[in-house]
Amino acid sequence: MKELQELARTLLADGEVELVIGWEEGRRGARPAFITSPDDADRLIFDARCVHNLATYLSPRRPQVTRLGKLALVVKGCDVKAVAGLLREEQLSSDRLVLIGVRCGGVFEEPALKDPAQPTSETVAPRCYGCDNREPARVAYLLGEPQPEPPMPATTIDDRVAMLDALSPDERWQFWTDQFSKCVRCYACRQVCPLCVCEQCIADKTMPQWIETASHPRGNLAWNLIRALHLAGRCVGCGECERFCPVDIPLSLLNRKVQQIVEERFDYVVSDDPERPAPIGDYRPDDQEEFIK
Amino acid sequence: MKTPDELRTYGATADDRSAIDGPDASPAGKFEPRITAFVCNWCTYTGADLAGTSRLHMATNVRIIRLPCTGRIDPLFIIKAFERGADGVIVSGCHPADCHYTSGNYHARRRFTVFRELAVFLGIDPGRLTFSWVSASEGAKWRDVVDGAVSRARELGPFEGYHGLVDRPSLTGESFATIEDLLGDGSGERS
Amino acid sequence: MSDERHADELYLTEESLTRLVDELLTAGTEVIAPAVTGSCASPAAIASAACLRPGAAPELIEYAALHDASQMALGRGLPNLSLKGFFLPQEEALVSWRRRGTGLELRGPRVDAPSRIALGVKPCDAAALEIVDKVMNWDTKDELWNGRREATTVFTLACPVEDESCFCAAVGGTPDGTRGADGLFTPVEGGYMVQATTDKGRAFIDSHLAAHAGEPAQSDSLRRQAAGFRSAARERIAGHLAIDGPAIRDWVAANFDDPLLTSLGIRCNGCGACTSVCPTCHCFDIVDEPDGVSCGTRRRCWDTCQTGRFTSHASGHNPREDQNVRFRQRINHKFAIYPLRFGEILCTGCGRCTRVCHAGQDLVEILSEIDDAARRGRPAVTADSDGGGEG
Repeated sequence: MKELQELARTLLADGEVELVIGWEEGRRGARPAFITSPDDADRLIFDARCVHNLATYLSPRRPQVTRLGKLALVVKGCDVKAVAGLLREEQLSSDRLVLIGVRCGGVFEEPALKDPAQPTSETVAPRCYGCDNREPARVAYLLGEPQPEPPMPATTIDDRVAMLDALSPDERWQFWTDQFSKCVRCYACRQVCPLCVCEQCIADKTMPQWIETASHPRGNLAWNLIRALHLAGRCVGCGECERFCPVDIPLSLLNRKVQQIVEERFDYVVSDDPERPAPIGDYRPDDQEEFIK
Repeated sequence: MKTPDELRTYGATADDRSAIDGPDASPAGKFEPRITAFVCNWCTYTGADLAGTSRLHMATNVRIIRLPCTGRIDPLFIIKAFERGADGVIVSGCHPADCHYTSGNYHARRRFTVFRELAVFLGIDPGRLTFSWVSASEGAKWRDVVDGAVSRARELGPFEGYHGLVDRPSLTGESFATIEDLLGDGSGERS
Repeated sequence: MSDERHADELYLTEESLTRLVDELLTAGTEVIAPAVTGSCASPAAIASAACLRPGAAPELIEYAALHDASQMALGRGLPNLSLKGFFLPQEEALVSWRRRGTGLELRGPRVDAPSRIALGVKPCDAAALEIVDKVMNWDTKDELWNGRREATTVFTLACPVEDESCFCAAVGGTPDGTRGADGLFTPVEGGYMVQATTDKGRAFIDSHLAAHAGEPAQSDSLRRQAAGFRSAARERIAGHLAIDGPAIRDWVAANFDDPLLTSLGIRCNGCGACTSVCPTCHCFDIVDEPDGVSCGTRRRCWDTCQTGRFTSHASGHNPREDQNVRFRQRINHKFAIYPLRFGEILCTGCGRCTRVCHAGQDLVEILSEIDDAARRGRPAVTADSDGGGEG
């Protein structure tokens, strides 16, 4: 942590960057921090409560951040994938960004007021299980000690997806329409998504209005289905959409399903390599097509 | 939150459906599926035309919407069709390597691969979604695609699950089932 | 304040309450009360006191129209969403239309809502109803809102629990209040002491509740217990946050471009979850949705000032161009604009916005900062306003 504070102080003092985005201690736990003065660098923290994917603040939709100038971003391994996604889609130019990587052994589900110990199988975010990027690559600085593998949660996301797969279509329909009927259409899932970068979202278009804005289950189904679909091959699985959802819709299950489809059908796994093209917008003439008669 | 006899939306009842369907709607009581077909201009639409000029007999439940290319068919079109009362959807265009715009159908194929599997994951029966390549010379194949889609939708019945969504109250006293509940090994009960 | 009232309190046991609710439900009356509606996936963030019960899995509490009395979960913390959805639904149809030949056939909603009863409402949620009444009857009378208000008898429940984001006392509320309600339940041993504060509440007690209420031998001790419970709740909340409402109102109104107010949105994602869960946020959007050919429905839906679309002009210009100024609007509307127009702070201190925000936007902290600035008259730039100046 000292290391991180020192580095941030130096970068700001030397004028290397004008802003460092990391985490700080808030009244209700860890939260994003925006440090513009070297004197404030000691507010920065990093521990297992630093859940937030800060890459979302790199979005071109956030003029209040971009206008602050060149920035350094503290990233976990998983967060780098989102940064890579933005670079891949040319939403970001790498010369305005310095990445400070931190080694991570898994984060909590919530950045709450807990003792920042190592997460256990009860408290670990399910997405951390099987993490392939505990030590972020493609970063300018890499801080912290090597970390152990995150513990396995009682039920993994894949377990839950498999449970749903095992149900009948009618049962799945009941489950999902129940879940979607909770939706209040606040679009928190979209706003916090590091990859939802559209200047105008399809849900905000009114001429024509493709997605009904009323929060009845019909409009909610269209929105939640399209949100997941538009992230096919792009979603990095950071789970921020689910964490931000005020009504607890299990969006991770949808996103994971899409990841599985993309992996199985197009042999594509979202990585931290910005050079590898995304699967939607690309094709192979010999793609599987057994469902097309 | 809404009481049943409070405002009811139009377009959701059998009565309203037959009014919209016009003369070829079935007599009350017998279910006739409504199928929306999104087809490409260059192959399938011409193929359907050929089926017509060849006087092939086929089910009359299909409304065709012609688009320049399968690449123009957004999954939202399918959602919109279901929202507006379709019981099944057909998407059809040129065979691979035959696209008038070189690669439109390849792109569409990837998109529909994901859409179809995701829709199935949400609980939409795959029998309601028909994908096919039909060329301009395949009038008979078009007839088979139509008859197949209609008979599958007939078997599945009206897509009440989707059409009834809008009148489903969004806040009720009912508990939301968890996956564990659905599997029957959870402690929660479901009415 | 409430100690004057206790003379006419009635004692209702848990079992009698269950019987009362079952009787109402059998008679076809809608009964709204906090109920467990599922397991809570993010207990730390959402109304923690509502979710957590020692030794039990975290549960999601919502106000719900009950199917049977056993669903009731009174005595828990704050439900996830406020009560406002029962008066201003997330979406509701205003009119349906259909073309018939050359004519147009219209169907409207019923404005004479059937009478219903809400039990165990949190005082902050009930107070919000009376505050929002003012805007709903300001220029146009909102018949749907008024109809539902008229038809609903609301009993609050003195708060048994609170957490560090509750601050009703700071904005003129109290955890045993009956503002916006018709009466109050106070938990005591074995049941509740019940009192009515309006004619509607008294009518409900006379026609339904009194038959189930008892007059136990130890009623004086129960009344003392209830009074003790209420004053303990008031004491607990008093220490949470103290602000000077009028000073904040005047300072915010006069310092629109102050760096403190124009740097509030740096970490905000603009998701609008805060406005969705807020009991007083009432902005809505009206949309026309076709249901088929030549027919459709006009609906109104909750809207949120936290998205860019809220102020997007047809020309493409957007006067609120970034999250800093959108968040300032939220503060401004609640603590200056509404107080200046209607004499009421548009906030009841429920703290939901703070709990629901996973980015760490914290209204308690923000209000303390503004309060500091307002008391000082002129702000110094605080340690936390390093997020850039221009709005």
